[in-house]
Amino acid sequence: MPSAVNINWYIALSSILFTIGVLGVLLRRNAIILFMSVELMLNSANLLFVAFARHLGQLDGQVLVFFVITVAAAEVAVGLALIVAIFRTKKSINIDEINLLKG
Amino acid sequence: MIHPIPFLLLAAVAVAAALGMLLSHNAVHSALYLVLNFITVAIFYLALNAPFIAMVQVTVYAGAIVVLFLFVIMLLGAERLRSPVDEVRGPERFHRYTAILLALVLVGVAAYLLFQGGVDMTGVDTTAGATLDASPQALGLALFQSYVFPFQVTGVLLLAAIAGVVIFGHTKKRGEDNA
Amino acid sequence: MNTFNLAPLILILPVIGLLLNGLFGRRFVEANPANGERLTGWLASLMTIGAFLVSLSLFLSLLAHGFEPIIVPLFNWIDIPSADFLVNWAMQVDTLSVTMMLVVTGVGSLIHIYAIGYMHGDPDFSRFFTYLNLFIFFMLILVSGSSYLVMFVGWEGVGLCSYLLISFWWARLDKNGVPANANAGRKAMIMNRIGDFGVILAMILLFWTFGTLDYQAVFSGAVEMFEANHMVAFGGLSVPLPTVLTAVTALFLLGVTGKSAQIPLYTWLPDAMAGPTPVSALIHAATMVTAGVYLLVRSNVLYEIVRTSGATILGLISTPNLVAWVGALTAFFAALIAFSQNDIKKVLAYSTVSQLGFMVAAAGSGAYVAAMFHLVTHAFFKALLFLGSGSVIHGMEHGHHHLAHAGHGATHTDDDGFDPQDMRYMGGLRRRMPTTFIVYLIGSLALAGIIPLAGFWSKDEILLHDQTYATPIFIVLAIAALGTAFYVARQLIMVFFGKPRHAAAEHAAESPALMTTPLVVLAGLTVFGGLLNLPYLTRAMAEANHNHPAGIFLMLESWLEHSLASFELAEEGILALPRTPVYLSLLVAGISTALAVGGLLLGYLVYRGRPRTSSEPDRLARTPIWWWSVLPLNSLYMKGFVPLFNRFSVWLADKVDWAFWHDFVHDRVIRDIFVTGAEFSANVLDAQGVDGVVNGAGKTTQRLARGLRLTQTGYARTYALAVLLGAVGLLVYFLFMAG
Repeated sequence: MPSAVNINWYIALSSILFTIGVLGVLLRRNAIILFMSVELMLNSANLLFVAFARHLGQLDGQVLVFFVITVAAAEVAVGLALIVAIFRTKKSINIDEINLLKG
Repeated sequence: MIHPIPFLLLAAVAVAAALGMLLSHNAVHSALYLVLNFITVAIFYLALNAPFIAMVQVTVYAGAIVVLFLFVIMLLGAERLRSPVDEVRGPERFHRYTAILLALVLVGVAAYLLFQGGVDMTGVDTTAGATLDASPQALGLALFQSYVFPFQVTGVLLLAAIAGVVIFGHTKKRGEDNA
Repeated sequence: MNTFNLAPLILILPVIGLLLNGLFGRRFVEANPANGERLTGWLASLMTIGAFLVSLSLFLSLLAHGFEPIIVPLFNWIDIPSADFLVNWAMQVDTLSVTMMLVVTGVGSLIHIYAIGYMHGDPDFSRFFTYLNLFIFFMLILVSGSSYLVMFVGWEGVGLCSYLLISFWWARLDKNGVPANANAGRKAMIMNRIGDFGVILAMILLFWTFGTLDYQAVFSGAVEMFEANHMVAFGGLSVPLPTVLTAVTALFLLGVTGKSAQIPLYTWLPDAMAGPTPVSALIHAATMVTAGVYLLVRSNVLYEIVRTSGATILGLISTPNLVAWVGALTAFFAALIAFSQNDIKKVLAYSTVSQLGFMVAAAGSGAYVAAMFHLVTHAFFKALLFLGSGSVIHGMEHGHHHLAHAGHGATHTDDDGFDPQDMRYMGGLRRRMPTTFIVYLIGSLALAGIIPLAGFWSKDEILLHDQTYATPIFIVLAIAALGTAFYVARQLIMVFFGKPRHAAAEHAAESPALMTTPLVVLAGLTVFGGLLNLPYLTRAMAEANHNHPAGIFLMLESWLEHSLASFELAEEGILALPRTPVYLSLLVAGISTALAVGGLLLGYLVYRGRPRTSSEPDRLARTPIWWWSVLPLNSLYMKGFVPLFNRFSVWLADKVDWAFWHDFVHDRVIRDIFVTGAEFSANVLDAQGVDGVVNGAGKTTQRLARGLRLTQTGYARTYALAVLLGAVGLLVYFLFMAG
């Protein structure tokens, strides 16, 4: 075991969390869970930003996290509004039943 | 920098919470697992000398966003939609396997890179991060000095999101026009 | 003070007239027919008179300011800065263009006023005057433009007006139910398109060679290049300038044959008589058809360079000589064809073709001033003749109406075939229409070339020039002059002398003053028009003055010299302009007068008192009466020459003109080639080639789309998977393969 936790450890953790988020998006049908998975992916990216800020001794990584959190909040707000709107008409939030764009 | 033992413990909790979110049958449980994950990540932030981001993580993510999720779940009564594994038909099965395969490739690539030696740390002063001034005051100065334009753009984005949500959430009343 | 800044007014005034009449004229006329007609008619006339007054002031300004050409820029027409390409819309006020402006607006004003009376009661009164002003507008663009491109705008514009006015009564059908008027308009349009094709090609060649279409730049550039033996590069091919100019001038000649009705494209002009008579006078006699002559005179430098260089078409003939021969032959054949016409306007139409041939022959043999002189005098007396014939037709129609109302119609069984334009129904009109008769007589004698009327001087100058320049052309033109006098006599006798051959002629009435006043003015111009370019009285006097005009002699020449660069260049020895001293040559004047008098006399002898009835065959087609056979010479003449000649004339008219040119060449050869080509391109090239490619492209796209559509499942997760696939692919690529 290496003597100290360094940036590589965070990369590993972030990759695992990101992959779990990807799997959530790809495998789950519940639109709400889908959004949660997206949040998880964003979160893993944030973790890596902060880790690199620490690693390089610069504040910019943390500033970027701030922006990502803002965008995530906006995204969730709009996404959930969409889900509510779709639920009103289709009485479902199953992502597979929302396929009107079928070619 | 955090000691390896607590790091591994916390990382195990974070991964477990993420998996719990992924595999829960109940959407409410998923949301709660997500909160747990967010809080462990916030602790990592504290360990990484980012106290303000940790606070924002807890209040915005764990507080606002997950509460919003829970609110919608309960509003729609959609907590028990489908189990994650039922009704796997032909094309969907292919789809599922592809997804898992790709996920494995993703993890595999990361693992390969790490075992190759990971990030090149020559010439990087890793001690500077520990003494970096990451107080809310320093962060605020960075935001309003070198990042003031992106900050404004983010403000516009939030405004647009508010407008969008209002329009989506608008229910037509009886006799009202489509416009 | 000069008035050159007023020049745009000559374009603006007709536009005002045509806009007001076009937009409101119909309403005026419908609201109050009498006053509305007066208003629209006088509005259009006053605008033309205004343009005439402006032209007059330009004339005076040029007189006061040394005759040098003035360029009046109006605006930048085509401006492409990146390609360094700029076409100005500018007016060139020089002695040549002002001469044309004066003719167009002067004669045009008189014809406008005449038309107020002539078109009285026509349901499309305001439309007529709108077109007339539109025509004046385009004609003035044509003569005032400072470059070939601007001129071409006018050239096409007058073609359009010609079409509109020939088929002015487009809805009328002839006896066979054919829309003859509309067809005549189409024919004029198509014939002119063939000519315009030549003009366009010529302009492209000029632009390629000189990089500009401005008259002054083209001419000075042509002279410089000619002196420097410049070669023009066409891709890898290098061609001497005279060869290029030969092509240009030959293509211009094609345009001239279309616009000025020369062989082989003259056939539209006789048909154009379907239009109202003022139109025939204005467009198809005095102004538009002379545009071709104007183009020749304007391009004098180009023709003279070709003449001087000795460049020929395939070693056969140089383009100026080709122009001269086309003109001379047209003058000859058209005069012969005029013999066998019974329609009063058709006679004048072929006469116009013939006289245009004189002008073209003059321009081709280098007598540009003589060509312009004849253009001006012809504008006077041919407008006079057309308007006079209009007056005759008007009188005949009046007589016919009178009959119908008075109930005399029952006694005349041949009424069905009555045609107010057919000379066989006329006769004896000199008593019924005295004013018309006098002015018509003056116009006819001027056309025949009787001294001292305007036609004598101008025709004499052309003959004088060609006598020394090219004797064969002189002979052809002289015979044409004889023929002219003959058909003039025939027409005068058939219309005005003898006894009336139809009740309508008995009851014909003189036209109103509105119509006769312009006739009297034109008659005055016809009498005194010769003063414009009076020749010296003796050869010695001409040579003493070395063609540098003085006093009252050769005023037009001293005026036009400032616009004809070839005159100055000939003095400097660069060009071999064929110049002859202009004096009253007793030989030429004698021949010319003898031919005119002889032709008139011959016509008088043949047609005296004939035909007696409207159904009597033409005198030339009959067996000789007894006293002709007393003299063997006359008998020989009547038995041998006249029938032969008559047959030849009829053959020319029926076979060469109608059967060969109209029916065979135009209808068979040109149309069939065109139809075959069109069908080939429509059915084979278009349907199978172009459509095949286009439809093939569409079908391929559809097939591809049908396949690709399957990938659009509508499931969000599929898309997400695709995104992930791409992301992982990129990641793997960058990490392992890109470095």
